[in-house]
Amino acid sequence: MAKGETGVRCFQGMLIMGNVIMGLCGLALMAECIFFVSDQQSVYPLLEATDNDDIYGAAWIGIFTGFGFFCMSVLGIVGVLQSNRTMLLVYICLMMIIFAFEVASSITAAVHRDFLTRNLFLKQMLEKYQNPEPVNNDDNWKSAGVTRTWNRFMLQDKCCGVNGPSDWQTYTSVFRTVNNDADFPWPRQCCVMDTLGTPINLDGCKLGVSGYFHNTGCYETIAGSMNRHAWGVAWFGFAILCWTTWVLLCTMFYWSRIEY
Amino acid sequence: MSEVRQESTSSLQRKKPPWLKLDIHAPMGAAVAGSALEAPDLPAEHQHAVAQILRPQIANPKYVTNNPTLTTVALEKPFCTFDGSVSKSASYEVHLYVMVDSATTISASVMDNGNKSLGATFEQTHGGKLGPYKAATFNVPHCTSPPKLSDIADVAKAPAVLTQYLIRVGDDSACLYDPNLQEACNPPLSEDTSYRFKFVLVDRITDIVKDQTLWSDPIKTSKLKPSSSIDIWPGQRSGGMIAVTFVLSVLTLVVAAAFLAAL
Repeated sequence: MAKGETGVRCFQGMLIMGNVIMGLCGLALMAECIFFVSDQQSVYPLLEATDNDDIYGAAWIGIFTGFGFFCMSVLGIVGVLQSNRTMLLVYICLMMIIFAFEVASSITAAVHRDFLTRNLFLKQMLEKYQNPEPVNNDDNWKSAGVTRTWNRFMLQDKCCGVNGPSDWQTYTSVFRTVNNDADFPWPRQCCVMDTLGTPINLDGCKLGVSGYFHNTGCYETIAGSMNRHAWGVAWFGFAILCWTTWVLLCTMFYWSRIEY
Repeated sequence: MSEVRQESTSSLQRKKPPWLKLDIHAPMGAAVAGSALEAPDLPAEHQHAVAQILRPQIANPKYVTNNPTLTTVALEKPFCTFDGSVSKSASYEVHLYVMVDSATTISASVMDNGNKSLGATFEQTHGGKLGPYKAATFNVPHCTSPPKLSDIADVAKAPAVLTQYLIRVGDDSACLYDPNLQEACNPPLSEDTSYRFKFVLVDRITDIVKDQTLWSDPIKTSKLKPSSSIDIWPGQRSGGMIAVTFVLSVLTLVVAAAFLAAL
């Protein structure tokens, strides 16, 4: 070390602090991604049916990189304290690998957030809901998932369709071909139900009398939470990476100046 | 599509003779009671003419929002329309006739030669294409105690209010397949088709037509857009996504370069 003892101690302290923050953020990222993957709203079947659940992939990667950042921060602190060149080289190499994965996770989450549009869910709902003749097992599985998820959403969140019950009246759908319009202008789940699960006034529901059917769409409930969490995965990952870059650059500098 | 529906509804509303004040649409009970009270004041000849210049109206869109649907049309029952023709001694019922809108609809008659009401069914007329068919039969609505539409929000009163207030054409999806059906069958209409409707006052015993409204203005059932026309392309990328991608790429390059430099 060219500089005095105090300068080195200062630099070491800075590196340790950077690693501590990085480790804690890693834990937080892991927690957030676990929360996302655990799918509190159970919207996963809807994403699965779009053949585009990469956003979950991003969250899974986030779990492991978050934990990786935590472990690396421990290794980094020990390495800096002991000024061990080998240990720090391992630290830098592993960090770069984790860094690359976290970049992938963050970018994937950011990209796929754009895809969660109203129309995506609308089209899927119209084409898969209550599909009686799925073309293959895969379609069968997805249709069942979509039907189940929509039934639950419309009942629990007192909403109907993506934009509102008019979705079922505006577009052709599998539901429309399976059910006739006179009896099912929209699914029964759109009707206001009593505690026994029967519509409180079926005619009122069919005619669209306010108070007997759910007039709001489910998009906010479905995409709202999904979007927020994906936003978290993308931007929190991004913030951690920005911080990690500096920690990594400083560690490399420190490593290159250690005397054998 | 909803715009078209709104427009047709409002045009129907406008064509209602303003001086009749048969405005059952008004949620206040006062206006409804007023119309019922005013009717007897009119001279007898005038009263008889009332039904002749009235047309069946679509149900109040303020309360019935899903109307017309693809295969159904909800109509307001003819309140106080036939008052001038009802005599105390006989009992009457109202028949509803439905016909696909065409050039001949206006002159289409719902009486046979003996002034009796037509018994044509949905199947005989090919769903109203060949001529009017009888879709429903119901009691003459009470002019003196019309239902209050504001009661519709009350769960206990709603069923009664709905049955008293409106008749839903196309409501019965099963009657075509019922071999034992005696009454008029009211099966679903066709989508994207204009229909006209007519209420006819018929003597219950002799089946003779006593009075009738005009054919309604054409009311079109709605039409579906194909779901394949929905565009799911997200369009322009969000700024956030571009920023994240760009900055992270740069950071990766910086880290890699620094590593090479440090070696």
